[in-house]
Amino acid sequence: MRFQVIVAAVFWSGFVESRKVRGISSSYKRFYKERKSFLCIDGSKIIPFEQVNDDYCDCEDGSDEPGTSACPRGRFYCTNLGFRPHYIPSSRVNDGICDCCDASDEYNSPAHCQNTCWNLGQKERAYVEGQMRTLDEGLRLKQQLIEEGVLLWREKQAQLRELQQVAEDLQIKLEEHRRRKHEAERLKEQTLKALEAGDSGLRHQNRTETSIFQLLDSNKDGSITVDEVKTKVVLVHDEERLLSEDEALGLLGGGHQIDLTKFRRTLWDVLTRGDSVKIKDTPGSDDPHLEAADKAAEWEATNLKKVEEAYETVNMEISDLRKKLAIDYGTDWEFLFLNSQCYKLKVYEYIYTLCPFNQVTQKNTAGTEVSLGSLSISPHIHQPLEHISKVLPGQLSFPSEEVLPSAR
Amino acid sequence: MASFTERMVPVLVLWLAVCLAETWAVDRGNFKTCDQSAFCKRQRALKPGESPYRALLETMELTNTRLTLQLINDNNKVRLLLELYRLQGNITRVKINELKPLKPRYEVPDVLIREPPTEPLSLLSQDENGVVLSLGSESQRVIISARPFRLDIMEGSDVLMSLNSRGLLTFEHLRMRKDTFSYKVTSTVASVWDNIKRVFSSQADPEAEKKEEADPANQAETTKEEEEKVEDGMWEETFKSHSDSKPNGPSAISLDFSLPGVEHVYGIPEHADTLRLKTTENGDPYRLYNLDVFQYELYNPMALYGAVPVMLAHNTQRTTGIFWLNAAETWVDISSNTAGKTVFGKMLDYVQGSSETPQTDVRWISESGIIDVFLMLGPTPKDVFSQYASLTGTQSFPPLASLGYHQCRWNYNDQEDVQSVDAGFDEHDIPYDFIWLDIEHTDGKRYFTWDPHKFATPKEMLQGLMDKKRKLVAIVDPHIKVDSNYKIHNEIRSKGFYIKNKDGGDYEGWCWPGSASYPDFFRADMRAWWASMFAYDQYEGSMENMYTWNDMNEPSVFNGPEVTMHKDTVHGAWEHRDVHNLYGFYVQMATAEGLIQRSGGIERPFVLTRAFFAGSQRYGAVWTGDNAAEWDHLKISIPMCLSLGLVGISFCGADVGGFFKSPSTELLVRWYQTGAYQPFFRAHAHLDTPRREPWLFGPENTALIREAVRQRYTLLPYWYQQFYHAHRTGEPIMRPLWVEYPQDPATFAVDDEFLIGRDLLVHPVTEEGARGVTAYLPGKDTVWFDIHTFQKHNGAQNLYIPVTMSSIPVFQRGGSIIPRKVRVRRSSTCMEHDPYTLYVALNLQRTAEGELYIDDGHTFNYEKKEFIHRRLSFAKNILSSVNLAPDAQFTTRSWIERVVILGASKPSKVTLQTADGQDSQLEFDFDASMSVLTLRKPGMNAGADWTVMLQ
Repeated sequence: MRFQVIVAAVFWSGFVESRKVRGISSSYKRFYKERKSFLCIDGSKIIPFEQVNDDYCDCEDGSDEPGTSACPRGRFYCTNLGFRPHYIPSSRVNDGICDCCDASDEYNSPAHCQNTCWNLGQKERAYVEGQMRTLDEGLRLKQQLIEEGVLLWREKQAQLRELQQVAEDLQIKLEEHRRRKHEAERLKEQTLKALEAGDSGLRHQNRTETSIFQLLDSNKDGSITVDEVKTKVVLVHDEERLLSEDEALGLLGGGHQIDLTKFRRTLWDVLTRGDSVKIKDTPGSDDPHLEAADKAAEWEATNLKKVEEAYETVNMEISDLRKKLAIDYGTDWEFLFLNSQCYKLKVYEYIYTLCPFNQVTQKNTAGTEVSLGSLSISPHIHQPLEHISKVLPGQLSFPSEEVLPSAR
Repeated sequence: MASFTERMVPVLVLWLAVCLAETWAVDRGNFKTCDQSAFCKRQRALKPGESPYRALLETMELTNTRLTLQLINDNNKVRLLLELYRLQGNITRVKINELKPLKPRYEVPDVLIREPPTEPLSLLSQDENGVVLSLGSESQRVIISARPFRLDIMEGSDVLMSLNSRGLLTFEHLRMRKDTFSYKVTSTVASVWDNIKRVFSSQADPEAEKKEEADPANQAETTKEEEEKVEDGMWEETFKSHSDSKPNGPSAISLDFSLPGVEHVYGIPEHADTLRLKTTENGDPYRLYNLDVFQYELYNPMALYGAVPVMLAHNTQRTTGIFWLNAAETWVDISSNTAGKTVFGKMLDYVQGSSETPQTDVRWISESGIIDVFLMLGPTPKDVFSQYASLTGTQSFPPLASLGYHQCRWNYNDQEDVQSVDAGFDEHDIPYDFIWLDIEHTDGKRYFTWDPHKFATPKEMLQGLMDKKRKLVAIVDPHIKVDSNYKIHNEIRSKGFYIKNKDGGDYEGWCWPGSASYPDFFRADMRAWWASMFAYDQYEGSMENMYTWNDMNEPSVFNGPEVTMHKDTVHGAWEHRDVHNLYGFYVQMATAEGLIQRSGGIERPFVLTRAFFAGSQRYGAVWTGDNAAEWDHLKISIPMCLSLGLVGISFCGADVGGFFKSPSTELLVRWYQTGAYQPFFRAHAHLDTPRREPWLFGPENTALIREAVRQRYTLLPYWYQQFYHAHRTGEPIMRPLWVEYPQDPATFAVDDEFLIGRDLLVHPVTEEGARGVTAYLPGKDTVWFDIHTFQKHNGAQNLYIPVTMSSIPVFQRGGSIIPRKVRVRRSSTCMEHDPYTLYVALNLQRTAEGELYIDDGHTFNYEKKEFIHRRLSFAKNILSSVNLAPDAQFTTRSWIERVVILGASKPSKVTLQTADGQDSQLEFDFDASMSVLTLRKPGMNAGADWTVMLQ
């Protein structure tokens, strides 16, 4: 019986002790063990223990008044059972405003504070659970996006490789075509040269009456007719114009055809003077070799151009793809899907269009659009993706119909 | 073209030089110089000399309360009526009006709190040269000299003040316009008729002839008047693109005052200038014309937002005041016979004994109205304050919370913004009482409305603030958007309450909402209607913790002459010209009345105004308008508020941080430290500036600002008591040193430090990069205690004080007791029931005195004697609290938690004796190094009688 009383007394006194020192956390209890005196926690002063929480500030550090507003730099511990404990400045003790959810800060105040910790705790737990669900959902979404991202990434990589292969092939082709074009041009050049050489030799050797006569006598019947003159002889100063019947007749001395003898006296003279008419100068035009070489060169040039263009296109595609692939889409490419998306956000009279990794624009109701620059997302902030999935549907129109045609 | 260029080169160079010197300044060209203001130019062209006015002594009438007398202008024979009153409390009132004006001239109503009670005047002597009247018992006399007219106020053999001694009394009498057709016809016909009449009468009626002779004035008047030349600007005046039609013609008045023995004059706010007024001979006069001056310049006499036509004159013997009750555009010229003299010159005069008495001459010029001047004869500064208060009333007693810190900016964007700023103060543990909403909170600058998106649920927002015991101020400007979908506009228009333009239509100007009209606040019915708009059921979204700010009430009209209203607009029988400086006064009056009415007459209002006039102190607070984030603007806040305090407007402050531009962190901190010790403590910022809430400048600066604001809050009991005192007496709260040390000439021009009440001396740090300040500690047998270190300094010395960024040099006068509340909380209301700490600073006689005033902090119940007012005194080692108002009743939960006695010696025992006769021993702590005795937790109720004995 006596033992029980003692135990009860010890219990009770222990209970009293922990009740008496208001505003401290359990980890600080050791500083406030009931003794005759109290040492300010900063060690600056010793005061009688009755002066702890007596609503007068004795310690410089405020440690003697953890449960009152007496010390200017003190703090009060809200236990907040059922919710999160936390410290508030001493100045909020008994100021008529409920700060601790357990109402412990307003123990001597007209404010009727309710203990709301359980509710808050429940709410917080519900919130945390919600957060967890959202997080899970987010993580699931993220996993999905990662998978998609990885696939897309691989696809793009494959595309890149393909393109690079194409480019390589094209390069080979290109070289082949260059070579062939070169060859064709060389051939053309040779033919032309040969022709020119033959031509001038001809002229040199056959600068005799007979050879010219033979040249003019297209049908080789031993006489030159008006028609033959008209096809082979032109005015010196106007090569393009055909001679008229009369002019041809004049050159033939008035007759419709002349033989070699007559030629010497008429046309030959005129030609040797060389100031009015000459033999039409069409070297190679009717040379079949030259014509073939020319066509071949042209063909090869066109071919080369086509290949070059194809090569350039492929290279541009490669560089575009590389640029896109160089962007940081997060460690697992979880942001890759954003690359082709745009979002709209309405703030008062403005509509903002945000295209991640691309442009941001602001459009007012009057329809004026202003570019606000480009939106780069640094995935290494590692904003949880669930956050985006949570925020976007509320504030942004997301995504289906509202998604703008992607930039590319 | 070449010559044009040549001419422009020097102009350009000058312009560039100006630009380089002052890259930022007011556009002076928008505002008139005296030369550009026709009446000022005309009046100023008159030089001192023999006055054309003569007192007609035979017209004198003396009753028990007043003397009347006619004055005649010998040049044009126009007669004036002089009235002279002796008012209670050593004030002489002189009124001069035309004897028979063509139409009535404006006399300012509503500024005087009542018809001032008079005291009998008695005639001492009279002869043909003048009369001598007694001003009561103090051997004070008024001497009216007849030829020329002059009025002197004497005490013994000293002249205190002379009127018209320089002959500058002028009265542009109202007249018919001569160059108009109708005038010509009437005047020609009249003169023809006069001539005919004269011819006939001289022959036929000798009686009439005699009459004519007996009244030569009439005849002379007509002939003389015709000789008067019509000057430019008499009947029409243009400034920039604005023309002023002046249908009443010239109407200016002017009078000079000589102040023998005076070298220091003060007052006539509002000007961004030194406390001591400068002489104006080499420039423009000080101008009083309420104007919205964009980016005002410092240290010049240009007009600003408000006007109080009161000047104080001071020397070691006496303080006097001149109150020129006129609401029209007014210019004040100041000259002095010693102003040009160097110290050496003055010394030479003294040595040679040849010095003439120093004298300051003042000349007031107003555009219209009458001369109605109150000569406040002191003799002490406090007498002048009480004399002025007896005329125009005292500072309104504001709600205690309005003495806390105010957080303002143009603009807090939306409710969320308000909430997050509010939360920011809690997070950083900085107290504040009021958050402010500028014009953007409204729906398209329609006052009394809310932006439907940004402030969709204002009551929710207000409730959130109320839960934290905090308050809000929303702006209500007097320009009303012309919009037929706006209820306020429709009602004002349908009631015909708008100011009319000269053609009778509603005046329209341009202001924040675009096209706007201006309610005629000069109409009592308009003001009553306006007040009713603040009722909770009228002003949607308003609650009892929402108060009001009246800006732009000069009135500001963006497209008007000098950014204000055309002078020829019409207020009933009067032109805007007559009443201009009163507009803001009435706006604030009507608004304050609205806030009182909405609570059924229970709650004290809080209304901030930018424009003001004499008497505005009765309606709330004033700030110094749109200043800038510059060190010089910080400095000028001191003389600007000191000047306002001298003329009754105590509740003054400047935008902390500076409105335009962005302050450096150092400037911002210094401004908080200064503002914390000025009566109205509000931070404000322009829309275009970066955010500057106190916690945006790093933890160190946040801590510095927090500390400055906390110092303010610990001293709130003292501030509140000062406001109560100002409300009772009219004494300024923030006051120049000379007010308390009137015989110490070293204090006369000090305006980089100031007193709060009698007991706190503040020398804020207002220099960039300051390492120290030199403060003048006044009082030969006075000691001052540094309120932070408790170090004691002797008075009558310049003290060099080394400073760091945390320093705010403030001293408590030895001989004073200051109550503080050292438990600084979220807002002043949260501190309502907190205990007091008494700071007892002993003087050389080891005595001290102070007061403690407590009431509910927000209602008019103090008028019903619901307050505690105690005298605290320390003498012979006994500190006691005595009831100063035994007939008052109030109970408080506050108690005395600590007594700190500065300059004490160590007692062996300290005993507390309470009213019930019980004695108890008090614990104490004595710091021998600083001689500071701290009594631990005496615990008596702050409203009780008690005695503490040191043995």
